[in-house]
Amino acid sequence: MALTAIALVAVLGLSACGGGIADNTPASNGNNFVAGDGSSTYYLAGHRTAAPTVSGTTLSGSELNLSSYRGQVVVLNFWGSWCAPCRKEAPTLAVLSEQYQAKKVQFVGVDIRDQASAADAFVQNFGISYPSFNDPADEIALDFRGAVSPAAIPSTLVLDQDHRIAGRVIGEASYGTLNNMLAKLTAGT
Amino acid sequence: MTDVHTSQADQAGPRDPAAADPEPVLEAGLGERDAADAPVTRPPAGHFGVLAWARWAWRQLTSMRVALVLLFLLALGSVPGSLLPQEGIDPAAVQEYFTAHKTLAPILNRAGLFNVFAAPWFAAIYLLLFVSLAGCVLPRAYRLARSARAVPPRAPRNLARLPNSARYQTGLSPAEASAVAARFLTGRHFRLNRGDGWLSAEKGYRREVGNLLFHVALMGVLVSISLGGLFGYKADRLVVEGGSFADTVTDLDAFHPGHFVSAGDLAPFSLTLNKFDASYIESGQDRDQPSTFNAHITYTAQPGGKARTDSLQVNHPLHVDGTKLYLIGHGYAPVFKVTDGQGKVVYDQATPFLPADQQTYLSEGVVKAPDAKPEQLGFAGVFLPTAVDVNGQLQSAFPAALEPAVSMIAYRGNLGLNSGVAQSVYQLDTTGMQKVATSSQVLTAGQSMKLPNGEGNLTFVGYKQWVSLQVTYDPGQVPALISGIVALAGLLLSFLVRRRRIFVRTYADQAGNTTVDVAGLARSDVGGGFEGEFAELSRDLRDQLTASRKETEVSHG
Repeated sequence: MALTAIALVAVLGLSACGGGIADNTPASNGNNFVAGDGSSTYYLAGHRTAAPTVSGTTLSGSELNLSSYRGQVVVLNFWGSWCAPCRKEAPTLAVLSEQYQAKKVQFVGVDIRDQASAADAFVQNFGISYPSFNDPADEIALDFRGAVSPAAIPSTLVLDQDHRIAGRVIGEASYGTLNNMLAKLTAGT
Repeated sequence: MTDVHTSQADQAGPRDPAAADPEPVLEAGLGERDAADAPVTRPPAGHFGVLAWARWAWRQLTSMRVALVLLFLLALGSVPGSLLPQEGIDPAAVQEYFTAHKTLAPILNRAGLFNVFAAPWFAAIYLLLFVSLAGCVLPRAYRLARSARAVPPRAPRNLARLPNSARYQTGLSPAEASAVAARFLTGRHFRLNRGDGWLSAEKGYRREVGNLLFHVALMGVLVSISLGGLFGYKADRLVVEGGSFADTVTDLDAFHPGHFVSAGDLAPFSLTLNKFDASYIESGQDRDQPSTFNAHITYTAQPGGKARTDSLQVNHPLHVDGTKLYLIGHGYAPVFKVTDGQGKVVYDQATPFLPADQQTYLSEGVVKAPDAKPEQLGFAGVFLPTAVDVNGQLQSAFPAALEPAVSMIAYRGNLGLNSGVAQSVYQLDTTGMQKVATSSQVLTAGQSMKLPNGEGNLTFVGYKQWVSLQVTYDPGQVPALISGIVALAGLLLSFLVRRRRIFVRTYADQAGNTTVDVAGLARSDVGGGFEGEFAELSRDLRDQLTASRKETEVSHG
């Protein structure tokens, strides 16, 4: 029976260490949401997957379909008013959205796990002029399954003019990272 | 046989008494290989090359002793995991430990003691253990497979020396007697090996099949478990009544992925909690104990898929797309409305409070209004499902929300959220804040508290309930169960079936008669009873010989 006992304990031991952390997947941090680490990826043309069609209602109550921005570079930012890294990056996004307006870059927010009043206060507070989808159940992130999916809050996806996913930032996006990506994508325009 | 690591047990166990006989009775394959693979604790003397070292190391690794040492190390290695705070479980506690032990913490950190289960040395131990088990079980399985196909060995010369033997005379010729015995034993499903004047028969190979099944299934269990560890995941999510969530990484409270799980691998379901019912025993000894929980949900297995309704109960999980969804907890989420100094509603939502007392469901929580003007507002307090005044102190008397009330204290200042450092939604970091009033204020549904200097107000609108769900995906679960059942079946088979041999020698004596020697040997008679079986067999064989004799006489006459 010795082996059976060993196998049992070994099995228990192995299962105890089963929950490792994948390199590209942020795991739990005990703050009751999965936070990213600010790592970014830029995909070269030819290595980009198409973004799914995304449509929904914005925080202001109007209908929005991402395909209406076809031909424009789109920055899709997943945020929540309660999320500290989102609050930190909000001024950066506000500045960049103004800066790249002339280059036809469209910023779009996806407000997740949030409530209208808190979200409205956030948008007003940080002077954000671009629209945000109201997505309390996080269904837009689900649409990106199979493509490059957002992997934490906040996450930022950058779509090229053909709405292929050209960049992803997991966690707080810095000015430098996003500015680099946008500069490359809008170089020709 | 369960003692796989020492093959010596096999040799020392049912040692064939006939082995003393010059004729090899032990099967050539099994016996010799066992001897060769027996653990060698000392390196062999003489020439000692790289290959010899490697062989020696391999034997050490796959020996029982090393496996036990590894097992002990594995247990020892997980001890710091429960004594020291762990990154994966409570990173805040790890930070605290770092500030409290400035010199010790970096040393412990270098040893990986704050993330034991991900530490390289821990991985080394369990990988070595796995290799040790595999290195023992697989060759063993191979040997068993050979043994199950082996032909019985030559009959020993002196059958009378065996523990069970019989001798009788017959009028048949030695060859005829041999043929009768062969027919008889084949009829009893023995496997035969014949030679000149001897006959060996063996039965009970199913024992080896059982043995083999057990070993292979054991590997199956190990592989299944690692399958679950590498490709499975576990996640938690709290959902308030009326709220929804999608099974994506961004939408989970806690996510524990296996090594090869990426964000895109999660089952794409989404779920809405329509209503949660809990009932409690209202009187008697078990007062305050819950009697039923029922979470009424609507879910879609795939985006755009059909919406289905179901109800989740304790131990009644929902199966969606290979994942299981368990109801693991519940609580209250009071609904608050915060109006800031400018008269704007900056917060209006159900706020999950965590139960601080499982008996009365007195729950604690905070409200953060980071976008309030002119200053950020924060509120900390408790929710009492059945609030009663006990000598001027507010307490909860019952877990059901019969007389719900909250008691909140207000803060203003800097919540610390804008710095970007993630913080718990259940705690208020008051380092940058100051209390607005010295004491907390009790509110019942619909009541408000005004902050001084027109800085805003907080309204307790009502309450909702929340449930906490666990999403688990373990691809190893079913294979592990099947392997476990097969292992058990194999074990039983190997215990219940005994492998036994019958030897027959026939020769003519001086009187012109034929002497038939029959002997029996059980190789592993754990349950006993071989003696009886042998007695019956030898009696039946004699009857057969006698009957054949008569037939011969009849045909001759």
